[in-house]
Amino acid sequence: MKVKPHTESGLKTWVGLAALVLAMGLFYFGIPALIAQNPEVYSRYYTTLSGIALLSMASAGVWLTFYIGRINIGQGVFCLFGAYISGILVVNYGMNFWYSAIWAGVICSLLSFLIGLPILRLRGVYFAMVTLISTQVATLVVQNLAITKQGRSFALPPPAALTLPGTDIVVIPAFTLEGAAVGFYFAAITLMILTFLGLYRLVNSRIGQLCKSLQQNEELASSLGVNIVWLRLVAYAISCFVGGVAGAFYGAQQANLNVSLFTVQDSVNFLLYCFMGGLNYVVGPLIGTITLRLGWDQLSPTGEYQLAIYALALIILMFILPNGLMSLVEEGKKWFIRPNHRQKLQSMSAQKPVKTVAKSAAKKRPKTAAKTAPKSNKGRK
Amino acid sequence: MTRILDFSNVELYYDHVHALRGVSIHVEQGETVALIGANGAGKSSILRAITGIRPITSGEINYNGKRINGMKACDIVPLGLSMVPEGRRVFPFMSVRDNLMMGAFTRHSKKEIRETLDMVLGRFPRLKERYHQPAGTMSGGEQQMLVIGRALMSRPKMLLLDEPSLGIAPKLIQDIARSIVAINRDEKVSVLLVEQNSRMALKISHRAYALTTGTIALSGKSADLAKDERVQKLYLGGEV
Amino acid sequence: MEQVIANGLFTGAQYALIALGLTLIFGLMNVLNFAHGQMFVLGALFAYTIFNHIVELGWFLGMTPWLANILTFMVALVATLVFLAFVGALFERFLFRTVIKRSSRDESTMLLAAATAFLLDALLPMKHVFGELSHSLPALIEGSFSIEQPWFSDTPFYMPYSKVFIGGLALFLIAGFMAFMQYTKPGRAMRALAQDKIAAQLMGVHVDRFTMLGFALGAMLAGGIGALIVTITNIGPTAGSSFSIKAFIMVMIGGAGVVGGAIAGGFVLGMMESIVPTLLAPYDLANLSDLIIFAALMIFLSFRPQGLMGKPWG
Ligand SMILES: Nc1ncnc2c1ncn2[C@@H]1O[C@H](COP(=O)(O)OP(=O)(O)O)[C@@H](O)[C@H]1O
Ligand SMILES: [Mg+2]
Repeated sequence: MKVKPHTESGLKTWVGLAALVLAMGLFYFGIPALIAQNPEVYSRYYTTLSGIALLSMASAGVWLTFYIGRINIGQGVFCLFGAYISGILVVNYGMNFWYSAIWAGVICSLLSFLIGLPILRLRGVYFAMVTLISTQVATLVVQNLAITKQGRSFALPPPAALTLPGTDIVVIPAFTLEGAAVGFYFAAITLMILTFLGLYRLVNSRIGQLCKSLQQNEELASSLGVNIVWLRLVAYAISCFVGGVAGAFYGAQQANLNVSLFTVQDSVNFLLYCFMGGLNYVVGPLIGTITLRLGWDQLSPTGEYQLAIYALALIILMFILPNGLMSLVEEGKKWFIRPNHRQKLQSMSAQKPVKTVAKSAAKKRPKTAAKTAPKSNKGRK
Repeated sequence: MTRILDFSNVELYYDHVHALRGVSIHVEQGETVALIGANGAGKSSILRAITGIRPITSGEINYNGKRINGMKACDIVPLGLSMVPEGRRVFPFMSVRDNLMMGAFTRHSKKEIRETLDMVLGRFPRLKERYHQPAGTMSGGEQQMLVIGRALMSRPKMLLLDEPSLGIAPKLIQDIARSIVAINRDEKVSVLLVEQNSRMALKISHRAYALTTGTIALSGKSADLAKDERVQKLYLGGEV
Repeated sequence: MEQVIANGLFTGAQYALIALGLTLIFGLMNVLNFAHGQMFVLGALFAYTIFNHIVELGWFLGMTPWLANILTFMVALVATLVFLAFVGALFERFLFRTVIKRSSRDESTMLLAAATAFLLDALLPMKHVFGELSHSLPALIEGSFSIEQPWFSDTPFYMPYSKVFIGGLALFLIAGFMAFMQYTKPGRAMRALAQDKIAAQLMGVHVDRFTMLGFALGAMLAGGIGALIVTITNIGPTAGSSFSIKAFIMVMIGGAGVVGGAIAGGFVLGMMESIVPTLLAPYDLANLSDLIIFAALMIFLSFRPQGLMGKPWG
């Protein structure tokens, strides 16, 4: 059977769509149905899962900064600020929570321009470290402001109803104390799905392609006339917007803000979720967050040993899948695609200059590259 | 004469790039052999294969009758093979002295190291003047002298040089060419010289190989090759 | 004023040691070792435990208390250095080396480093390890050095003898490490590796061996300084990550991977932590000092990412 390039991508689209429909079915109907089986025991999963959904959003932001070639350990800043901005708008200014969340995102992305202008010029470990320090700064800021109550307990009411502007038509009903968990669950998964769809769209757009070229070679990209400063700022602003919104919802869901809502540890965690999922796939941060957070949650009965087991599991996973969980997909492809089939795909990718650049750039270490290369080439003869 | 290096039927890949396609070359004891060819022909790849920086897919590399392919780079140096890599690669933040001492890393006798050091400094007096200066702050030519000196510090039986004339002022190229001849003659070091400056390479070598896209196109006595029409056309056209 | 500077220098020397180990590991392996602070805590609690196990022996032998204390402490310090070097070597050999070889991106080691930090964070407070309590050793030497009327201030200057002793030890360790890196063959090999891996290999340097040595030394320094600090302040089993962050900052102030920079970074942060609160105190803003320090450093690094000594390895 002959394989044409577009049949593979066509197949990919179908698989992707099917996965999306399945996932939506699972999140909107499957999980609520499962929880309904035994609400007393399982309803706590609403909170857990909405937390995961929001954190995966924030990780998606981190992933996007990875996509422009920056290691971001500062997402905690925007989550924390997002939570407090929304909280302050709701409590001090009586704004509707739903609007306040959007404002949180907008203010965070404005802030990101301010921070991003100087720091986005930095690369590698320098960017990573400055963002790491920025999280510490954010913590200290919250601890020293009166408006955030010095980062001690800052209580939030449940979100009020959202009506269409100028009318009484209720779009989203007010959250009751008992119903809040369920309400937040649906809000969180909706946001999460929107975020990842948006991210997928972005990555596959022209801007996404440009970002990808940034990741590989900034000098080359800028010599091609791409305004890389602007591109990076926009990508970073999007990342921070998502972080701010996620933070706002996360804070509202907790109904109580304090300074330890997002710390340096959380900034590092977002990074880990991305790594764990795999940096080559849009859904990487989602998979990573679900695996690690759910895993962490499931380990809670082990009490004292929870962290130790979690850490050991992480180490073992690093040994088995050092390139993230999604690298399983690549392995799977290698297994399932028949050998002669494989040659075609490879020779195709070899012909596309962009792709080969990507590969040689990704395989920085000569040894691994050398090990894999001869094998695949033997097959071609 | 005995063969100090026998490089036979070597294949080497970088990911998808087939860089060496069954290359065979050899170097006799005491010879200077030049390896010429255009950019990307695979010259450096041959040296990388010999020193074990890059593993080969098939073929065999024998040095002094010992099979060395598959050995690690750091285990090959003590056998008496020393390489001056492409682009010089001094240790930029270390002093000239420390760079030279790194060259003697695998040796132990302080007295012998001292002797070699004197020999190297005698050969490249410039290095003595810059003895305590960080290597990265020196000019290209000085750095080239330093890396050749550094390679000599291990007292090699064979020296591999990768484009020593690259990016160096024409006047200094002459000096470097002279030192290569002198090292070969006085220290009894066999030399494998990779060059794009074919004219210089053919002048100072006994034999030469011309490489095109991973295969040996021509080989023979350097003097003969220099007269060969094809070489003239392909490798000597318009060069210094 | 003298007091402030002396305190700053003291803290700076401790910080410099922490930063040195971290920068060594970074320079050699390009690994941001998130577990560095945990190594420090491990060293502190290990030294504490050893000290308490053997200090009575000295009394038993009829030594004067301060001599017994100091001798015991030196034994504990050496034991800690050896132990931490061993732990570091194990980490490199069995964790980092494998993952670096298998993964396609350098950054993957961050995940591993974080995971090892979690692991130590989890293990150290366990009942059968060190327990959850914070510990510190009693002052090794009683008494203190004081000047009733120092030149530049009204308040008396005072420095406990044990602080002087510990500060001296820290300086000695720094000097010893620098001399090792500068003048010995393994030190030179590690510097060469950090500057150019391939060229170092061509000189016959075994990359694996010296990377392991570097990791072991880095962990050793962290542990050693832990042992020193536990004689001065309380150290809890989970204090690691806050020290890691500080260590990262110091490394960046000086310039990532630069030995001299790490020392400078350590002293700069130590001094700032001592001076800034004093300067702000008259305005009742002392509690803002951390914020000001961190924000200032962030701004400094945004515009001068290479730090004070912007070059890899000096
Ligand atoms: N690290 C590498 N990754 C991929 N391809 C490489 C690499 N190094 C060299 N090549 C390719 O191998 C071929 C031979 O390279 P090289 O031996 O460096 O050539 P030369 O030294 O003759 O200029 C070239 O086509 C080059 O593009
Ligand atoms: Mg070359």
